[in-house]
Parts: sequence; structure tokens; C-alpha cells
Amino acid sequence: MFAFVVRRAAYGFLTLLGVLLLLFALFFLYASPHEMARRAVGEKAPPEVLEQWIANHGYDKPKLWNPEHPLDTLLVDHFRRTLSFDFGRSDADGTPITQRLREGMGPSLALAIPSFVLGLLFSVALGLFVAYFRETYIDRMGVVLCVLTMSISTLLYIIGGQFLLGKLLRWFPISGFDASPSVIVRFLMLPLLVSLADGVGGSVRFYRTVFIEEGSRDYVRTARAKGCGDLRVMTHHVLRNALIPILTRVVVAIPFLFTGSLLLESFFGIPGLGSMTVDAIHGNDFATLRAMVFIGSLLFIGAQIATDVSYTLVDPRVRLE
Amino acid sequence: MARGGSVARLAAAALGLLLLSACTNNPYPDADDAARIFYRPLSEPPKSLDPAVSYNFSEHQITGVVYATLLDYHYLDRPYRLIPGLAREVPHAQVLPDGRVAYRFRLREGALYQGDPAFALGGASASAREVVAGDLAFQLMRIADPAVGSPVIATFAKIEGLREFSQRLEALREGDPEFARRRIDEQYAAAGGIAGVKVPDPHTFEIVLSEPYPLLLYWFTMPFTAPVPWEAVAYWDGEEGRAFFKDHPVGAGPFRLTKLEPQSRVVLERNPNWYGLLHPEWRAPAAVYPTQGEPGDAALGRLDPAYVGRALPFLDRVEFRIEKEDIPIFNKFLQGYYDSSGIVQESFDKIVHEGGLSPEMAARGMQLEKTVDPDVYYIGFNMDDPVVGTPAGEQGRKLRQAMSLVVDSREYARVFNNGRGVPAQSPLPPGIFGYQADYQNPFRRVDLERAKQLLDEAGYAKGIDPATGKPLRLSFDIGDTSTRGRVRFQFFVNAWNRLGLDVEIAATTYNQFQEKVRKNAYQIFMWGWVADYPDPENFLFLLWGPLANSKSHGSNTANFSNPRYDELFVKMKNAENGEPRLAMIREMRALLERERPWIELFHRENYTLFHGWVHNVKPAGLSLPTARYVDIDPELRSRQRAEWNQPVLWPAFALVALGIAVIAPGIVTFLRERQ
Repeated sequence: MFAFVVRRAAYGFLTLLGVLLLLFALFFLYASPHEMARRAVGEKAPPEVLEQWIANHGYDKPKLWNPEHPLDTLLVDHFRRTLSFDFGRSDADGTPITQRLREGMGPSLALAIPSFVLGLLFSVALGLFVAYFRETYIDRMGVVLCVLTMSISTLLYIIGGQFLLGKLLRWFPISGFDASPSVIVRFLMLPLLVSLADGVGGSVRFYRTVFIEEGSRDYVRTARAKGCGDLRVMTHHVLRNALIPILTRVVVAIPFLFTGSLLLESFFGIPGLGSMTVDAIHGNDFATLRAMVFIGSLLFIGAQIATDVSYTLVDPRVRLE
Repeated sequence: MARGGSVARLAAAALGLLLLSACTNNPYPDADDAARIFYRPLSEPPKSLDPAVSYNFSEHQITGVVYATLLDYHYLDRPYRLIPGLAREVPHAQVLPDGRVAYRFRLREGALYQGDPAFALGGASASAREVVAGDLAFQLMRIADPAVGSPVIATFAKIEGLREFSQRLEALREGDPEFARRRIDEQYAAAGGIAGVKVPDPHTFEIVLSEPYPLLLYWFTMPFTAPVPWEAVAYWDGEEGRAFFKDHPVGAGPFRLTKLEPQSRVVLERNPNWYGLLHPEWRAPAAVYPTQGEPGDAALGRLDPAYVGRALPFLDRVEFRIEKEDIPIFNKFLQGYYDSSGIVQESFDKIVHEGGLSPEMAARGMQLEKTVDPDVYYIGFNMDDPVVGTPAGEQGRKLRQAMSLVVDSREYARVFNNGRGVPAQSPLPPGIFGYQADYQNPFRRVDLERAKQLLDEAGYAKGIDPATGKPLRLSFDIGDTSTRGRVRFQFFVNAWNRLGLDVEIAATTYNQFQEKVRKNAYQIFMWGWVADYPDPENFLFLLWGPLANSKSHGSNTANFSNPRYDELFVKMKNAENGEPRLAMIREMRALLERERPWIELFHRENYTLFHGWVHNVKPAGLSLPTARYVDIDPELRSRQRAEWNQPVLWPAFALVALGIAVIAPGIVTFLRERQ
């Protein structure tokens, strides 16, 4: 297994290099250092101030090739700093990026963990329920509702949620965030409900398929023949044996808990890492974007390896070679 | 078993209570309901609260009340009038024998900074450091410091020796890496200070300019020139867990920053050390509510006897919440959770009826304040261009005049801005010296026939270019690729099409457009300018020859160059307001009228809504922080919030009914299956 993990890590490292190269190419095709400087110091700043900003941030180096000092280029700098976890400071406001990551992680996790856990429990329970009643009204209506909820855009859930629960029923604030213990729950409830409504259709449909497939196996029939109750069959036999596809889906989603939800955080004004990434894109903040993409890729690659390893834990028959 | 059950019940009860407590749309703690807190949205998080760097409207709402400036604008008077702030009086220029100009400010004695641990560096107790003239000199050195990156260094370069100080400082840092690690005040002292900045005693501050520049006084109303204690810059350095100075402002203004969560909220509280509170006996003009205003202020309740002459500020706290989207801001305003708001385009007709508030909104006690912003939006011609510019001579001039005669600003405002916006006749907006309300630019009224005639005289009869025999092809270079932007620009193209011209929209991203501007590769463009200070110089410089984009990458993007205009501009900018200055402005206006480097479009008109519990509001147009003058009636606010936030329950009932209709057959199925 060790060799497998090392090999996957090596592939992962190459993928990471590719991601960083792509990010560099895309960003500098889109933005020029002058534009970054203009965003940072304001439209009215005279050319000398822009030049000063560019020099202060090291963007005055050649992008790809420097004949005098081949290692003194933006590209080399980009790889060197990222791979050594030296994220530096935000191009937009000069704040150390590690500080921004620390500040943003809390709000992101405060929303993402309950959304993830409740979403998982709710979807698995509904998936089991619908799978148990397959080929009945419940199953058919379940599938219709799943497809319906999957077809609706996340933006509509957000706007609809804000309108219904915030504007008409007035149960929750329309947007905003306050980490004070006395009020934090009221800010999280609406995005949490929107997140559940948005994600439940696809998940239930996926789990239903998995459970139906698992429920038609011989050992299920045997368990029933031996007098096992429905609840026990579904939760102890079907659910356990369906863990591999569930794990695949769950572990791969874990990195996104840390990187935050781009849409939800932006629309609900939650100051997490997702909205930080959106701001970095809008504000041409290359340093922040580089850090977020790097961390996101790293976590994703790590999660892929962890998923493979976890197979051996839930199914002893799986061997990693 | 019973114990487990009770734990589960307890947990369920706790969860229920938690959810119940969450069931309110009030975004603020209940305990704050009775406080005098002004709630305002900020559209973007503050990037820097360093007064030498910060240069945008959002940040100015914070730095403008945390830092005390030497001068202020009178809150109510229009045209804008300077009054003393930290200075004892507004200084006058002293012309020195060699032509240089000096300004001498006398500071109030006994004004204090807010309490801050940084002052321990200087040996003072944490709450008792006095504002001294040396702090102003220090702040000007920060503006000159290349490492600070102040966007206004060019403006202050008129102070004698400022550039030289900047160069000496940079040379010292480059020559010795250890030097840059020394304390900031020591670095500045080693660089020798700025020759034209003098501090004869702790309460006198003098600056010497190498040339007359009367407009400099306006810059002393801005936080750029506010006194900053060197201790704060040295102490708040981001090391050992301390914040950066840009995130920890230390000023002498009416409010102090007590909470900065840049991505979600900023909280300011009344500064007990402010000179207005510590020394009410001074009756400093900027520390008491004005006793007079412009005509109409009294009728609008801005000279309420309950406030006139009272010591400022009235608020306990100002809370800014970061809200990037307009619609949530507006909805929260309607729920009473923001005290003021703009009007989103989608709801404009619901809010505004025939130029005033709709009956529904008026019944809520709202106030609608309209202001014309000190700005100008225009279509510019690149005067270096061989077809539309100066090289085309009379032909180009007539072409520009014809194109100007078909652009209908009023219709544009009606279609795209709900009718908001004052059609511009010249670069000068209302409220600026030289603006003439009854002036009608002969080329800024819509006259298709005259335009066609001019085009004919230009040699482009019916818009046909004789060289090709086809409609004259022009390029409208825009930095906006969105559909919405395209529709707006198409409005102008359609107008020019009526002349037979073939104008192509060359839409690029804003970055690419900026690149085009840098390379002077554009023909027709649209741009806008918002004033820094209320003076005609701040608009007319946009067409001053030496600032042409093609020559100096300056702000004159039209590359307009006219010797007479340039000569008049230099005289006008150094003149005092009066008849001679007005005559110069009129002559410049006449030159622009004929030459048409711009098609002046409109000056933006701002509609701002305030709730009835907000008092003493007077929108300024200019970026002026007004929090010190505003007051709130928290009782009325609480009452109206409760009234406006009764839940509308029918959607919930409808949803439940729909849910039952969907689920009921399922329950029947379930029961049947169980049997």
C-alpha cells in the first residue's frame, strides 16, 4: 500500500505543477500587472504610483524568461513561493494571506460542516427510504422530485430562499454574518437550508441507485429469508455494503469544506474562503488566487488518495497495488 | 434507558430553543435595539485604512471620521465652504519675495489622539498624547515615502523638497538594508525631512510651495493630510501578533475604530478623546452642529433647534456591514435594518412617483434625498486621430459637432437610469464654481437637420466617406464586454447611424481597453470623472494639453491641445473665485463648445433613501463622511422594525398544503406496503 500511496502522491505532484502552470498562464493572459496595480491603488493614481506598486510587489520582473538571471522571473517566483508555502501578502490589500486563510476558515467551516453532515444524513436516509419503496408511488415521486430539484439553478434557490424565508416569512436575515455566539445561528440557517435543498436531489438519486443495486443482491434475499426485519436489512446490510460509493462521494467532497462555497458565501455575505476566492478573481488578486488554487488542488489530491486508502478500511477484499 | 431518554429530550429541547432563537430576521443583537447606532452597508471591504494610501469612497467613510483634519467643509452651506477643523483658522497664502507661496497653520492646543497602546513607545501614557505639528510633517513624509505607495504623491510634489526627500530616503534604503529596519521616525529624520515643511513650534505648521496652488487647502480636508502619530506607524507593524497600521488606524477624530472584520463588519465608537468632546468650550466650528445653512435647509428640518449649536457627535456607534449585492441591501433597508440605502433599479417605480416618494413609502416616514454628483460622464474623441481629431482640421471639427448634435442625454437617462442624471452642457457639474444653470451648449441639443448639414459641410454628405464611397467607418472603443454595457453603447451608435455613419463598437475587456489607452490606439471612447474637491480646476484639467495621454500618459485621454485653453487653464487654476476667474472659465467653455473634444453626456443624480428616524441628513455629492452630524431615534426605529417585520404566513401554509398533497399518496402507499 505504501508504494501505491507514494506513486499516487507523485502523480498528484505532477498534477499540482500542471495546475500551477495553468493558473499562471490563465491569470497573466487575463490581467496585466498594470491592471492589478490600478485595482489596488485606485483609478486616479498617476503612472508613477502604479509603477511603484508593481515594483513593490515584484511584478516588474520578466514573466517567462530573463536572459541575465534565468531564475529571476515571475514564473519561477510563482512556483518557488507556492511550493514552499510562502503565500505572501494579498495583492489587493497587503494582508498576509495566511492571516486571511485563518480568518476565513472559521466562517467557511461553520457553514460547510453542518451542510455536509446534515446533507449526508438526510440524503442517505431518504435514499434508503426511496430505495425500499422502489417501483411504488414513493419511489416514482421521489425520482421526479429529485430531478426537479436538480434542474433548478443554485442561484434560484438562493434568491427564492432569501425571498421566502427572509423577506416574506422573515424567519432569518436575508444576508450577512456575525460570529457572536448570540446571533451566529440566525445567519447560518438560511444558507444551510438553501445548501440542503440544492444538494439533496442529486445525492438522493445517487444513493437510491446504489441502494437499489445493493438491495437486489443475494445476501439481502438471504437475510430476509432468515427473518431479518426491513430496517435491519436496509441499515445493517445494504448500507454497509454500499459504503464504497458513498465514501467515494463523501471523501472527495471534504476538501471543498475548507475552500468554502463560492456562490453561497458570496450571496449571503459570509466572509469565508469561498467569497475570498471570488473577491480575488474580481480584484485581480493573483497572490490570493494562487494560494487558494494551490490549497484546493492539494486537498483534492490528498482526498483522492485518502479515498483509495479508505476502500481498504471498509472492504477488506480491496488491495492497493 | 430512562436516563438516555431524558438526555435525548434535553438535547432536543436545546436544539429547539436554538432554532427558535434563530427564527428572527434581525441581523443585530437584541441588546443593540435601544442604542444610537447608525447602520450602513459598505459595498466592498476596506483594503487600507492608512490615511496616506486610502483613496476610495467606502474607506473614506471610516478614515474621514477616525482622523481629524486641519480643515473641514461646512456641513450645510453650498457652494462648499472651508471651515477650520484642528486648525484654529483657515490659512491664507503668503506670497514670498521669490514667488514661492507659504501656508501657516496654527493648531489647537490640547487636542488629543484616541487612547492606544502604541503611545507607550514615545513614553506617553496610553491615553494622553497630544496632536502636535510634527505629526503633520510626519504624515507628509509618509506621503513622500515610496514604500508607502501613496496615490497622491504627485499632488504634494508642489511642496518644496518633497521629491528630494523621497529620493534621499530611497537611496538610504537601497544603500543599507539595515537602514530600512530602523524605526520609521528615525529613518525620516536620517533622510533630513522635507525642506518646505517647517515646524517652528509644536502648534505651528508651515508649508512652502514652489508655485502657487490655492487648491492645496482642499487637500487639508482629506485624511491624506491628517496628523498621524509616528508611534502608531512604528508599533502596528504586523509583527508579534500586532495588526498592521493599515488595519489599526489611530486618529484624533470624533470616532475610533473598535472592531474591524474586513470581510463582514466595521464598528466605530465615539472617541472620548476627541477635541469636540474634551473641549466643548472651544466651540470649534467643526465640532458643533451648524447654526446656518443654505436656503431650504430649515424647511427640510436640517436646522432643527433641538440640534443647532449642540456639540457633536450625536451617535454612540456607527456600524458598517459589508454587503456586496444591492438587492439584499435594499431589502434589509425596507425591513428597517439599514438606516439608508440607494434605490435598486428593479424597485425604482415602486419607490419613486413623479420625482417624489411613492405614497406607500411616504407613509412609512421615509425621506428621499436627491443630489447631483460632482462628476461628468462624456464621450471623448482622440484628437490625435487623423479622421476625428485635430489632424482632420475643419472637416474633423464639423464631424465632431455633427456627432454631438444627435446624442440625446435626456433620453439616455430615461432609458437606462430611470431618468436620473442632469444632461451635461460643459465639463462643470452643478455646485462647482463656473457652472451656469441656464447655459445651453449649442452642440448639446438634439438637432438632426443641423447635424446632417454639418456633416455635409465636412464632406461626408449623408455619412458617406468620399474616399471609399461607403458610410464613414468609425470605431467606438469600450472596455465592457457585457450585454448590458453593449446595449448602452448601442444607444449612441444608433444615434450616429441616423447620420449615416457606420460606427463599430470595439468591445474589449477593461484591461485590454486600458492597454489601448496606454498605446493611444483608440478613436472614440466613453469615460467619467468624479471630483476630488469642489473646484473647476478639478474638471478642466482633464483637457489640459500637457496632461495629454499621448504625451505624458496623463488624464487628458482626448489628447486635446489648444494653446489658448492651456494658457487660460494655468491662469484660472491659480485665481481666486471671482469675476475674472469666471470670465476665463467661460472662454475655456466656449473653446470646448466649438472644438468638441468631448460630447458631454450627464452628471449623475443620486437618489438616497433615509428612514424617518434618521435626522440631520444632507447628502453631499462629494465624498464627505457625515456620521458626526447624523442622529438616530432608536425608539421609533424599534417600533417600526417590529411593525414592518410581521411574518407573511400564507406562503408557508401554501407550501405545507403542497407538501401534504405530494406526500399523502406516499403515506397511503407506505401503509399499504406495511400491511
